[in-house]
Amino acid sequence: MIAQPQWFARRKYLGWGLYPKTWQGWVYIAVMIALLVIMSFVPTVSAQTVQTVTLIWVGLCIVDIADVMVRMNKDEREKIHEAFAERNALWVMLAVLVVAIGYQASQSIVKTGAPTFDPFIIAAIFAGLIAKAITNIYLDRKD
Amino acid sequence: MKTRISEFRKELGLTQEDLAQKVDVTRQTIISLEQGKYNPSLKLAHDITKALKQKQIEDVFEL
Repeated sequence: MIAQPQWFARRKYLGWGLYPKTWQGWVYIAVMIALLVIMSFVPTVSAQTVQTVTLIWVGLCIVDIADVMVRMNKDEREKIHEAFAERNALWVMLAVLVVAIGYQASQSIVKTGAPTFDPFIIAAIFAGLIAKAITNIYLDRKD
Repeated sequence: MKTRISEFRKELGLTQEDLAQKVDVTRQTIISLEQGKYNPSLKLAHDITKALKQKQIEDVFEL
C-alpha cells in the first residue's frame, strides 16, 4: 500500500490509531485530505459521483492505515504494554456496556413492564466474545 | 532484574540507539532494561548478549 509504518507512531495516550511522526506522514495525510477536497470542488462532477468516490477514497484510506498498523514494528515490551492497555480499555468499555444494558432494562420495565435491550450493545458484546474466542483458539494452536 | 548492559555497551562504544537497532527494539526498551525495570524474553536476552559480544546470558543478566 502507500503509507509506510515508519511515518507513523501508535497513538498511546489520546485514543486509538496512529499519528504522523515524520514529515512524510504529514504529507500523506495532507495529500489524502487535499485530493478529497479538490475533487468535491470540481464543478463538472455530479454530487452522486463525489459521494461514491468519497466513500471509496475513505475506504482506501482506512485499509491503508489498517495495513500500516499491522505492519508496524513493535518490540516485545511495546507489545506487552499495548496488550495491557487494550485489555484495560476493553474491561472499562465492557463494564459501561453492562451497566447500560441494566439501566435500559430497568427503565423499560418501569415504563412498559417488560425489559428491552439495545441490539447494538448486545451485538457489540457478542462480537467481542467471538473475537476473544477466535484469538484464543489461534494463540492456543500457534504456541 | 539487574543487568550489565550499560557497562558492556559503553565498553563497545555503542549508544543506546545503536544497541536498540542491533537487537531490533526501541531505545526506550534498552533504557528500561538498563534500569532493571523490564525483564526481557529469552530471545531478547540472547540477542543482547550476542550484540554485546558476551558469551553467556548470565554475564549480562543477573538471574
